[in-house]
Amino acid sequence: MDQWKIETETLSFAYNGREILTNASTRFTENAITALVGPSGSGKSTFLLTLNRLWETLPGGSLSGRVRIRFDGQSHDIYEPGYPLDRLRRRVGMVFQMPNPLPMSIFKNVAFPLLLAGERDRAVLAARVEEALRRVHLWREVKERLNDSALALSGGQQQRLCIARALVPEPEVLLLDEPTSSLDQRAARAVEELLVNLKERCTLLVVSHYLDQVRRIADRVVELSDGAIREGR
Amino acid sequence: MNGWRERAAQGIFALAALVSALLTGSIFGFLLFFGLPLLTGGRLTAILTQPWAPYQGAYGIAPMLAGTMAISLLAMSIALPLAMGCAMLISLSGPGPTGRLLRKAVAMMTAVPTVVYGFVGIFLLVPVVRQLFDHGSGMCVLAAGLMLALMVAPTMILFFCDAFARVPRDYGLAVLALGGTETEKLLYVTLPCAWRGVLTGTILALGRAIGDTLIALMIAGNAVRTPTSLLDSARTLTAHIALVFAADTESLEFKSIFACGLLLYLFTAVMVVGIRAAGRRRPGR
Repeated sequence: MDQWKIETETLSFAYNGREILTNASTRFTENAITALVGPSGSGKSTFLLTLNRLWETLPGGSLSGRVRIRFDGQSHDIYEPGYPLDRLRRRVGMVFQMPNPLPMSIFKNVAFPLLLAGERDRAVLAARVEEALRRVHLWREVKERLNDSALALSGGQQQRLCIARALVPEPEVLLLDEPTSSLDQRAARAVEELLVNLKERCTLLVVSHYLDQVRRIADRVVELSDGAIREGR
Repeated sequence: MNGWRERAAQGIFALAALVSALLTGSIFGFLLFFGLPLLTGGRLTAILTQPWAPYQGAYGIAPMLAGTMAISLLAMSIALPLAMGCAMLISLSGPGPTGRLLRKAVAMMTAVPTVVYGFVGIFLLVPVVRQLFDHGSGMCVLAAGLMLALMVAPTMILFFCDAFARVPRDYGLAVLALGGTETEKLLYVTLPCAWRGVLTGTILALGRAIGDTLIALMIAGNAVRTPTSLLDSARTLTAHIALVFAADTESLEFKSIFACGLLLYLFTAVMVVGIRAAGRRRPGR
């Protein structure tokens, strides 16, 4: 039987008093791609933010219930008081709907999570950056201009860069909020391929509006509607 | 209709820019017209090297220039880290009640008239400096610099906070999503992105520090000599202009204040251009 990686238990979330999630209880299987679908405003993106506690950086939110994630074979309640957020977010990576490269060089963008973790060895940084860029098939396109600003890349390249950056800390869970919505068809297909390859080492939760894409990549579909979570068709 | 409005708006903005440029240029022209005769024919060297001794026909303003530099640079070197720290604190406090309260308190400080800062300086700061260092009256470069720093810091804080707030929220979210803390977000992303706003706030505060008259007049001691220590009394160019203004308008003593004005203008311009040039050499991406 497949082992679960993430478990939510009676998870409710309200934003400025408006209920967005109501008693959402489900489990997500390890090393699988789960697609989150549902109408706009149904709370898909918010649901992702509850899994890495990023909602706490936005004012006006309140949450109840539990989220457990299995790290190193042990279940961790991520809302336990004092749970280290930096470690959680390095293990639960996130890619946003719009590419959000930082206003620095391509190299520094990808190396940024390592720099945050205190890695200063140039050789290590260079090797890890190259590995991450190769994994997202971006290395050949940018290897000659690693010191150029990441903001000068095209939208598709920026999104792949953001995925590379999220992969650098070797996350065990990757949350992707409509990662291909700002990309053309070709770039979107490249990202899809990449996600399918990633599930060998990662548990992926992908918010998507594109049913074709969901059929192509998802092992399971979960539907969010009126704050409730149910198995998708 | 829209095209007409667009053209009208552009015309009004262009006119406003032109009037501002003309006003600045005419102030410079006015100072040049009255001040230049005092700076030509070797008199510039005399003004910059001689002491201020009107009764002996010496109208040197070097001590005042040194006083201005000492007080304004001291004020800026205190105000810049102070304002940066406060702006960071407000930024880290977020949009909640603490951040709002701090911001309102700082905004209120910008509305306090300069003369109030002067009084606070005379009655609170000067006695402390006098007792602490046991040197002279306490009216000195240090006291004036400290008070001036307190006066210009609120403006800088508000400028810095606005510059931080203009940094796209996506950048911050990206850092936090990668496991960064609010402090790391501020240091690695917000601060480098807000560089131009920080520079603008610094230039504005520097202009205020150099141009302030009352604080220097009330607290610096007004001694006409080049200060050699922070505890020496000093006179700034602005305070000098204010003090000499009561002299006979036909006297050379009176006319010398135009040279002061011209030098003040040039000094401010050089400082602003210098900071802008330094700002162009931004820390690496």
